[in-house]
Amino acid sequence: MKLTTKLMALATSAVMALASPAFAEDWAPDGPLTIQIGFGAGGSTDTMGRVLAEVMKKNTGWNIVVENKPGGGGVAMFTGLSQRPVDNKTIGMGVSIPVLVQLVQRGDQLPFDTDSFDYLGTVAKAELALVASKDAPFDDLEGMIAYAKEQGSLPVATMAPPQVLMMNQTKSTTGADFNLVTADGGAEVMKLILGGQVMAGFGSGEHYPYLESGDMKVIAGANQSRLSYAPDVKTFIESGVNAYVDPIFFLAMRAGTDPAAIEAISSAIDEATKAPEFAKIVQNAVKGDPINMGTDGTKQMMVDGLANAKILFAK
Amino acid sequence: MNTMADRVSGLFFMALGLAMYFWINPNYIETVDGGNISPATLPNIISIILAIAGAFIAIKPTDHQLRNPVLMAKTGLYVTLLTAGIWAMSWFGFEYVAPVLALALMWLIGERRPLWLSLGVVAMPAIIWFLVTQLLGRALP
Amino acid sequence: MVEFSTILAGFGDAFSLYNLAFVLFGVVLGQFVGAVPGIGPIMAMAIAIPFTFGLDPLPAIAFLVGVNKGGLVGGAVPAVLMNTPGTPDAAATALDGYPLAKQGKPLKATKMALFSSITGDTFSDIVLITVSAPLAVLALKMGPIEVVALMIFAFSILAGLIGNSLTKGIIAAAFGLLAASVGQDPENFTPRLIFGYWDLFDGLALPSVAIGMLAISEILHRLSEAHGNMRPAIIAKDTGNPDDRRVTWAEYWSCRFTMLRGATIGTILGALPGIGSTAAAFMSYAMTKAGSKDPGSFGKGNIQGIAASESANSAVVGANLIPLLTLGIPGSVGAALIISAFMIHGMQPGPLLFENQGRLVYGLFGAMIMANFVNLWVGQLGLRLWVKVVSAPESIIFSSALLLCFVGVSMATSGLFGVAIMLIFAVIGYLMASFGYSLVIFIIAFFLGPRFEKSIAQSLALTDGDLTQVLKSPVALALLILSVVSVVWFLRKNVHGEDE
Repeated sequence: MKLTTKLMALATSAVMALASPAFAEDWAPDGPLTIQIGFGAGGSTDTMGRVLAEVMKKNTGWNIVVENKPGGGGVAMFTGLSQRPVDNKTIGMGVSIPVLVQLVQRGDQLPFDTDSFDYLGTVAKAELALVASKDAPFDDLEGMIAYAKEQGSLPVATMAPPQVLMMNQTKSTTGADFNLVTADGGAEVMKLILGGQVMAGFGSGEHYPYLESGDMKVIAGANQSRLSYAPDVKTFIESGVNAYVDPIFFLAMRAGTDPAAIEAISSAIDEATKAPEFAKIVQNAVKGDPINMGTDGTKQMMVDGLANAKILFAK
Repeated sequence: MNTMADRVSGLFFMALGLAMYFWINPNYIETVDGGNISPATLPNIISIILAIAGAFIAIKPTDHQLRNPVLMAKTGLYVTLLTAGIWAMSWFGFEYVAPVLALALMWLIGERRPLWLSLGVVAMPAIIWFLVTQLLGRALP
Repeated sequence: MVEFSTILAGFGDAFSLYNLAFVLFGVVLGQFVGAVPGIGPIMAMAIAIPFTFGLDPLPAIAFLVGVNKGGLVGGAVPAVLMNTPGTPDAAATALDGYPLAKQGKPLKATKMALFSSITGDTFSDIVLITVSAPLAVLALKMGPIEVVALMIFAFSILAGLIGNSLTKGIIAAAFGLLAASVGQDPENFTPRLIFGYWDLFDGLALPSVAIGMLAISEILHRLSEAHGNMRPAIIAKDTGNPDDRRVTWAEYWSCRFTMLRGATIGTILGALPGIGSTAAAFMSYAMTKAGSKDPGSFGKGNIQGIAASESANSAVVGANLIPLLTLGIPGSVGAALIISAFMIHGMQPGPLLFENQGRLVYGLFGAMIMANFVNLWVGQLGLRLWVKVVSAPESIIFSSALLLCFVGVSMATSGLFGVAIMLIFAVIGYLMASFGYSLVIFIIAFFLGPRFEKSIAQSLALTDGDLTQVLKSPVALALLILSVVSVVWFLRKNVHGEDE
């Protein structure tokens, strides 16, 4: 086990040694590259972003600075990014769904759209789950809806607008009533559930330790397909609510960036997503493997995602 | 008893509160449907409190004395200098503006000794440049 | 429960020369960077994290613990020596620290800050190491309704800091809340009062506002006074009395209740995410002043004031680790950075941390204990250095401080926009001070505002808009009654103070 890891590392570094001079010749940033993360420190995006930056730094020798720019599920950061002058060295890292939903909901008020960026690649897919305390008197979404109807209403914690929309969809499909409590992030959702202030809430990874310890249980998967770590749990769609989100962690730069820079940075990202130490962090953060769709794939993902979000989340 | 200072500041905060409530909040805060607290609720409540408290101060002022107007004018001079410094940095960058700004500041304060001047104008910006760009690998403004 | 052998093994891992070296390096860096005007302790952490990537988990964490704790001590230095606090929580320390320094006793003032900071820190560390699990359960029971009540209580304590005019205090607080409402609203994330500047979407950046209001506005005032004068920024008088350069045991001992109260307040607020060290420092200060037999001596260089503030704001930082380690919930920006570093090093804070990685956790505790001793030792030397540095002429101190604030705020807010905001708030702060409005109350309101609004929104959602539900929460009810009592008590005290 140990030996194979070492061999892998050796092999990767050998590949890198061959690969890195190639793009170092073509292009190098003048000054430090900045990766702006659309979420606060300590979350899964932050952790992956920081390690990604570190691996890229090691591979390329570029200086990379990581900054946190939280707010609105990454919308604040992407808004800022779209308003910056093109400098060929500022990269944004965020999650697709919150951005897409904001574009659908208030696209006319936001100063950017999917064309405002040049896409560099993706890092991983997030699995979003609705979880509840182990003592909750229901085990799946149907049970929860029935319980909400019986009680009159049920408090549920959300952390971003897409989840609010999913719960609203649930409300209008089933007629059950939910009190939606907006939390500052996954960690706060967990606190509200553990403290008994809400019955259920959304987690995008923060709940893993509590599943392991048996303090919480998964009620429903919020992605299109079932959760990889809880294959027996039905999704929202399977429970009769036609809504899902497939959040993907991606990186982008301001549109109009020098194509040579895009080329060099995106291949550095691709290189980094293949590194074993990065795979380990992704496994910790989202319980899945790194996924890189490449520059064109990422753009396609955003365009398709927007069309999809329009159908799912149009007002 | 001189009550001018409080009357002026009270009227200012009253005007600010009223302007916020009647003009700025309605124009610069979106309305949303649904939710538990509308985005404008808290700013509106605060604006009203501000306007009432401001009016109260203007009507019933204390005898707070303003700082010496000469000092305040001098402060204005420094603020102008710093504003110019930020504006210049946005064009030419910290490396070029910082020594000039430091020299202007020190000269205004009245420093004429070459040793201290050279420390503040040459050494300090150089140390900052070294620490930030070389040691920390960050960009200067 | 973690086995005793694991605890011993963890401490054993920590107490090595190798780790001590990293703690020492961290403390030196933290104390130095934390003390530089405009950079401050949180920036010190952000700068330090990338340096830990290549290290093993324990030395990496030991290093960060050192930076964090060193930053606490360093943060008080500019507040005491120059009256230019770089973070809002050090502003309470400046209230008495700077007057004492100006009396020619800068070493005494900074040493008192050092000792009470380490006392408060050690207190909360002991609480963390011994009873963090039950405390975390208590913290969980504090839901949004209780948090709103707690914040109202915190605001009511501020009444103790309002000077001669209640109305002016209210205006300062309202103005602070208004500034806090710039940026996205807490529930719908709509852009609010940003006037087309999307850089404001995330709100007015705390470093810009805090450094502008507290540090730059003071420097502007001092610049205008310094005009033509060529004096040192601070004068350490040699009175011949060695007691003016140190804190005697009798003085330290006389502050024991103050520090105990400060440390308790800090530990409680630190265990509850989101309230933070600023509120703790000022609550402790206001309570100490109100409980004192000689409240008139506060703000004039009373060491009790320094002890109250520093013991409380330092205790918060240790206590922040309680919800962080046991629940994975960061209580502040600094704690969020620590969690980030933990996760990068494969530590997953949460309910299973003690079981799965008990040895590493006790290694962390060991590093914290070491860091407290190192902090005390390095602080003794470092403070002397800082007093020397600040004894340079005002001309070079102020121009350098301004440049550093420019660079620091630009790094913390990514760009000159944040620096421009800083200067705007410096002017606002200068004018407010000139017209007799409390900057401190503005800053606390600004700091607590977003959390306050969010908790109100959450409470409304939970109660379905029915506020009588508050009556069902004994904790919230008790806090609200305490708030009314404290407002009445403070105001009566203030009125009496004016009569004398």
